[in-house]
Amino acid sequence: MTSTNLSQDSHCSRREMVASLAGGLGLVGLSGMLQGQTVKASSPVLDFPAKTKSVIFLFMTGGPSHLDLLDPKPALHKYAGQRPKSTQLRTERVTGGLLPSPWKFKSYGQSGTEVSELLPGIGSCVDDICLIRSMYTFNPTHTPARNLMHSGNIASTRPTLGAWASYGLGTENEDLPAFVVLSHPRSGKLWRAGFLPSEHQGTLFDQQETSPDKMIRYLRNAHLDRAVQQKQVHFLQQLNQVHLRARDTSPFLEARIKAMETAFRMQFAASEAFDTSHEPQYVRSQYGENPFANSCLLARRLVERGVRYIHVFSGPGQPWDDHDKIKENLEGRCPDMDTAVAALIRDLKQRGLLDETLVVWTGEFGRTPVSEAGDGRDHNPYGFSVWMAGGGVKGGMVLGSTDEFGFQAVENRINVHDLHATILHLMGLDHEKLTYRYAGRDFRLTDVEGRVVNEILT
Amino acid sequence: MRWVLGVAVVCMGNAVLFAQDSEEEIFFEKKIRPILVDHCYKCHSKDAKSLKGGLLLDSRQGLRKGGDSGPALLPGNADGSLLLEALRYQSLEMPPSGKLPESVIGDFKVWITRGAYDPRDVELDKNSESKTINWSESKQWWAFQPVKRYSVSKKSDMPWVKKKTDAFIFRKLQSKGLRPSKPATRRTLIRRASFDLTGLPPSFQQTESFVNSKDPDAYEILIDRLLASSHYGERWGRHWLDVARWAEDNPTSEATNPPYPDSWKYRDWVIQAINDDVPYDQFIRMQLAADLLPDFDRKDLPALGYIGTGPVYHKDPRLSRHVIETFASDDWDERVDAVSRGLLGLTVGCARCHDHKFDPISVQDYYALAGVFSSSWEVNRPLVDMAQDEEERLIWAQDRIPRLKLAIDLLGLPATPSTPEQIDALKRELESLEKTPYLDVPMARAVYDAGIWIDGSDPDFTWMDIRIGEARDLPIFIRGNVSNPGEIVPRRFLSVFSEGDDQKFDRGAGRLELANSILEKAGPLAARVIVNRVWGWHFGNPLVRTPSNFGVQGEKPTHPELLDDLSARFVENRWSLKWLHREIMLSSAYQQSSSYHETAVAIDPDNKWLWRMTPRRLDFESWRDALLVVTDSLDTTFGGPSLELDMEDNFRRTVYAKVSRSQVNPLMRMYDFPDATEHSPSREITTTPLQQLFVLNSQFMVDRAEELAESVRSMKDSQAAIEFLFRKVLGISPDENQRELSQSFVQELNQSGTEDVWAVYCQALLGTNAFIFVE
Repeated sequence: MTSTNLSQDSHCSRREMVASLAGGLGLVGLSGMLQGQTVKASSPVLDFPAKTKSVIFLFMTGGPSHLDLLDPKPALHKYAGQRPKSTQLRTERVTGGLLPSPWKFKSYGQSGTEVSELLPGIGSCVDDICLIRSMYTFNPTHTPARNLMHSGNIASTRPTLGAWASYGLGTENEDLPAFVVLSHPRSGKLWRAGFLPSEHQGTLFDQQETSPDKMIRYLRNAHLDRAVQQKQVHFLQQLNQVHLRARDTSPFLEARIKAMETAFRMQFAASEAFDTSHEPQYVRSQYGENPFANSCLLARRLVERGVRYIHVFSGPGQPWDDHDKIKENLEGRCPDMDTAVAALIRDLKQRGLLDETLVVWTGEFGRTPVSEAGDGRDHNPYGFSVWMAGGGVKGGMVLGSTDEFGFQAVENRINVHDLHATILHLMGLDHEKLTYRYAGRDFRLTDVEGRVVNEILT
Repeated sequence: MRWVLGVAVVCMGNAVLFAQDSEEEIFFEKKIRPILVDHCYKCHSKDAKSLKGGLLLDSRQGLRKGGDSGPALLPGNADGSLLLEALRYQSLEMPPSGKLPESVIGDFKVWITRGAYDPRDVELDKNSESKTINWSESKQWWAFQPVKRYSVSKKSDMPWVKKKTDAFIFRKLQSKGLRPSKPATRRTLIRRASFDLTGLPPSFQQTESFVNSKDPDAYEILIDRLLASSHYGERWGRHWLDVARWAEDNPTSEATNPPYPDSWKYRDWVIQAINDDVPYDQFIRMQLAADLLPDFDRKDLPALGYIGTGPVYHKDPRLSRHVIETFASDDWDERVDAVSRGLLGLTVGCARCHDHKFDPISVQDYYALAGVFSSSWEVNRPLVDMAQDEEERLIWAQDRIPRLKLAIDLLGLPATPSTPEQIDALKRELESLEKTPYLDVPMARAVYDAGIWIDGSDPDFTWMDIRIGEARDLPIFIRGNVSNPGEIVPRRFLSVFSEGDDQKFDRGAGRLELANSILEKAGPLAARVIVNRVWGWHFGNPLVRTPSNFGVQGEKPTHPELLDDLSARFVENRWSLKWLHREIMLSSAYQQSSSYHETAVAIDPDNKWLWRMTPRRLDFESWRDALLVVTDSLDTTFGGPSLELDMEDNFRRTVYAKVSRSQVNPLMRMYDFPDATEHSPSREITTTPLQQLFVLNSQFMVDRAEELAESVRSMKDSQAAIEFLFRKVLGISPDENQRELSQSFVQELNQSGTEDVWAVYCQALLGTNAFIFVE
């Protein structure tokens, strides 16, 4: 892909480019001249004015319980232990009677949105948050449901949301990838490019690590110091120049020379961007000291540096999969998440970035109001909660509702395709026009579905 | 109910339509039309941006005709009307934005019961009806025609035309105002041919002796030597493994879709078959139906891995029959895709929900093929001979044992309604199955004829219902939804290739009949597809640039007569791939230089007309293998179980690296290795900074550089060392410019007191464009 695009774009600027290459490292470089064009060459222009430049997607792997966090259901107390007819829905596991939430819900902010007492931090931000209580999806198991949430399809093959964003919009910082993933490295393939050109796949940084050169493979050379490596790269590029000149022109050779230049600079750009030790202690303590908190802080640093799409996983495995012991699990898990997410929203807002950054918080599905194993909840694709903040969505808003027990979304039902359509819309892309021709068809992130949820847009 | 008219109206029929301001009309205009307009037209009217479900609700005719799921309403029968079911959220859930108030749903019930008066009378737009396939017209499509030879005149004034293929190319070039490039140098040619056929670089000595050979047949001898090398199969087998989306595990690899520890046997079978030049038609027959061929030898059982090692979903038995059937139908869909795109260049998968929008493939065709796979049980089969009943017992046991173990684990959990008796029964069954003879004999991942059903009789636990000796014809799943089955379609081949009546498959699952249909009824297409792929692997671009789509949406061939003629002769030459390689590689077109030419580029920037050889980046396997070769590290052991690519002491060829669907090796992915979860038509070559970080900083590159530096460390003369390293790595002597740059770099490093100067130098040399580039 890169080479095809280069062949179209590089004609006029080739001479200049070779001249600048000959100057070696440290000069202006090629970034401005080439990459911006090449990355975007195959992409559609904006369909609407973009309301957000960047997306931070916070993914709570496992399916967090909306009933204990975001969607209060007093009826669960009233009918505790019973199994009313409307709750006879098949889920993955065998379930029993209704399980009331062990926590109280409180009204927060001017909007008075009710949020669980487990989430005081998020509660304090509700006036910046648009809470959707009527989400639903189409599959009750983790992998297919996660694929749905990330790529709009149950298969493990389709391009993911971040890859579509990169494909549609390209990057604003040539020294960093457009689609950054902060995850435990064994979390699976949820940042694949699928059939899109592979340059759009997410670049994984290991969130369990704090030092940048451990977060990304091959970021640092363990043997050479910078000065020697600079000489080495300079020599290598000279050989490449000689080779290129003998061939007059070759988009591939030029692209690879440029990629070497970017790689060399990226070592330092990424090292700087991914090093949270540059942040003052008071900022770091607002977020907290754990891998997820560090990822949230990094997400803000990356937004500042023009990264398009940052996908943060809540930890290794599927932490929010509370089939049992939901009380002690959530009590243990919520504070770190809540503190970090609230700090992120406040921090973005204070820096004036929240208006152009969309923060999305979701899992692959919610959990059942009926109990599993007496003290847990099963997977629930029929109804759950998602929230968004910043970048073009209304703060202090609640959209939709589930039934009286929180099992099924009933009013203003929003599915994963609608969510995707809305996120793309906020980035300035029409989900029906953002297509890629593959295997004889024009594919979309939203397949043949999806409705932009206009009600929540500013 | 205030509707006194009741049933009477239904009997009155059309008479109602003429009543002015009738109560029905008022009711319709007040209660029904506004709801339809507000909640339905957006997706179900002729003005809808995209019509959903093929259903039009903006006319009486549309409602009554219905969409993909059948008529939307039966006048007079509200409870039997799909429209009401959907409004009640019973089957479909409409409108999707939320259930309408009960009072509105009540209005609709009344309206339908009373006969569904509807004044919106229109002629249904022909275009909005699903298009029916015009079979006789679509049979004329170029790709379905018999392949035929063309005659070309042999003119003595065309010395460029060495092979028949050249004649077609020359004529095209002339017509486009282009000329072929001059022949490549022998130095370029040996590097090109060696990488192309074996995926390995020639040594400097081999290069020199070829360059200096006086034998006019030296090139032909070279090609024959390379084709005879066992490395040839490793290279071309790997091309096939892309088509076959071969891997050794599953996207999630859980209890019901564990990894395939014997999968490497398929990989080795492919490599051996390619080395043996097994005719392509036989090669395909064996991969679909080796076990059904006369003279079947169990050593060919791994061939069935084309189907048997395909990706499978995890099917947690606690899920409903609906969900499990969805997963199973996705598995079958993948097989339809692998066979149709892989072997026929047809996107049959597009017909899963509706007739193919462009190609003559009906939804019936899709389910007729899918039925072959719902009748093919993917199992491990023994590689030692045994009686049929013994084998059936054995494969039953090895398939059933892990399912029983899972069931016992799951049903043993608290909160499951199972009784101790149920669990005991499962345990007893497990115990007895574990005594099945031959459980430990060598196995291969394969298929066995058996129908696959999903048993949903237990509401809490869904079992796979596998019936040996039966085949399962599938119903059409309307819009791909397994809960919405339509007519049952017998297993058979694609209608567009049938003469007269469709012939049903009736031998077991129909795998052999499918293979024979592909190679005979659709033989011309199958031949074109493989010839086109091979052409693309040699030249960088195939003649049909969408190698897995020969349908209407695909590209047309750049050289249709060439493709036809070559395909016809390929079939005549007993589908021999080695014959095809020679035919292509001995042509002048293949032996051209890859030099840039400004005028030619202006006319044909993509080199569609082959005015030169397209220069290329090495693919990942060749690049890594070449790095091992030039640093004297390559372990050339043939075949066997895979090794993790990143293992420190893995010096084997990259084709023997483990290929995973669940944990795709990051390095392979970074270098454009295809995702083995689905068929890969061709590799997309990208150039990214992350690849260059690997070049700069990875331990693998550092080790290779040190390995190489070792060989010059004892040399006193840096000139000699530079000469040696250029020959070793790039197969050339450095020119003056390269020599000077090298000298001054080495000097600079020495002066700055850098340790291990030669390793730093070697790593740069290994990272050059010249090394990864083939001309």
